[in-house]
Amino acid sequence: MATKKLAFIVKSLPYKTEASRLALTHAIASQTVEIYLEDGDMVEPVLAFMGDGVLNCLKDQTAMNLYGVTSLEQHIKNSLLLDLKVMICKEDVERLGISEDALIMDAEDIGGETKASIAPFGEIMKEMDTSDHLLFF
Amino acid sequence: MTLGVLVSDFRNMDNILSRLKADKLGVILVSNGVYHAAVKEGGKKSSILEKSPHLYVLSEDLHSRGFAESEIDTRVKSITYSDLVDLIFNEYEKIIWI
Amino acid sequence: MAKLTIGVFSSLVGSLSLDFAVKLSEAAIKKGHSVDFWLSGNATMLSKKGQRNFKDYSALQKPVQDLLATGKFQITACEACAEARGFHKEDTMEGCKRHSMDWYLASCFSADRVLHIGGD
Repeated sequence: MATKKLAFIVKSLPYKTEASRLALTHAIASQTVEIYLEDGDMVEPVLAFMGDGVLNCLKDQTAMNLYGVTSLEQHIKNSLLLDLKVMICKEDVERLGISEDALIMDAEDIGGETKASIAPFGEIMKEMDTSDHLLFF
Repeated sequence: MTLGVLVSDFRNMDNILSRLKADKLGVILVSNGVYHAAVKEGGKKSSILEKSPHLYVLSEDLHSRGFAESEIDTRVKSITYSDLVDLIFNEYEKIIWI
Repeated sequence: MAKLTIGVFSSLVGSLSLDFAVKLSEAAIKKGHSVDFWLSGNATMLSKKGQRNFKDYSALQKPVQDLLATGKFQITACEACAEARGFHKEDTMEGCKRHSMDWYLASCFSADRVLHIGGD
């Protein structure tokens, strides 16, 4: 029985490219990966937003209404609903002048219990250090 | 951890690279990242070259952009795809592309 | 030897990042390693058969077929990303599989090294 940890590090802005959306959907795919693995083996994803990527985490995105695509907001909430660890870089949030109120911190409205955390980059670095593989988006 | 960073662009790489910490950090210039090895801006060399003592440039990408090994910073080692495979498997536990 | 998993999301022809990934795969296999190659997003274009080889355009269908012939290379396209772009099962080049995104994670699970090239 083994667990492999994958760090999904999102630095891309949303919508112009699909990079950050694919980060979320790939991380969420960890829910079904066991069909390919031996019994007891697991993939543990960690999602971290850094650099301009923290802007994926803003509330009130209306991409569904305007472009007919699931918003990054919804994808992040789905991740939290599935109890994925979601970290948002504190230094980049401060650099961009974003208040915590403006960020998606939970998925309570869809029944999720796990909360996102605004974390110093040092903590994100620790997650990268303890991950088996790193995927930058 | 030992971390190999494949730098694929000429712009906006500093912000990410500066923040990464590793016991051994390798900077591998590929694609448009090779310009860091060969181009000066305002007479100054790229700040990427200060990020690590382990600097590499992919020769195929260097040559396809019109540069020869004689034109790159002396701190940067020119490598082939074959050398890159060895770096990936023998020198760095984790590799990322930025 | 060891396994390298490469995930590429970059466009076929529109970006040489996909060519980089194919060349890296060739070099890794020459050294005796195996490679899992995951195509998602715009890179799913590479899974489409019938690509024509023009001088000014990168041509990857044959290099991929040659890699498949080594027996040490697997290439899989994201089914959702392909279908969204109008690439159906019958359009897929021989040897290229199609799966959902969890396939990539499973490949990463058993890989010795993972190189993720996320976008153009």
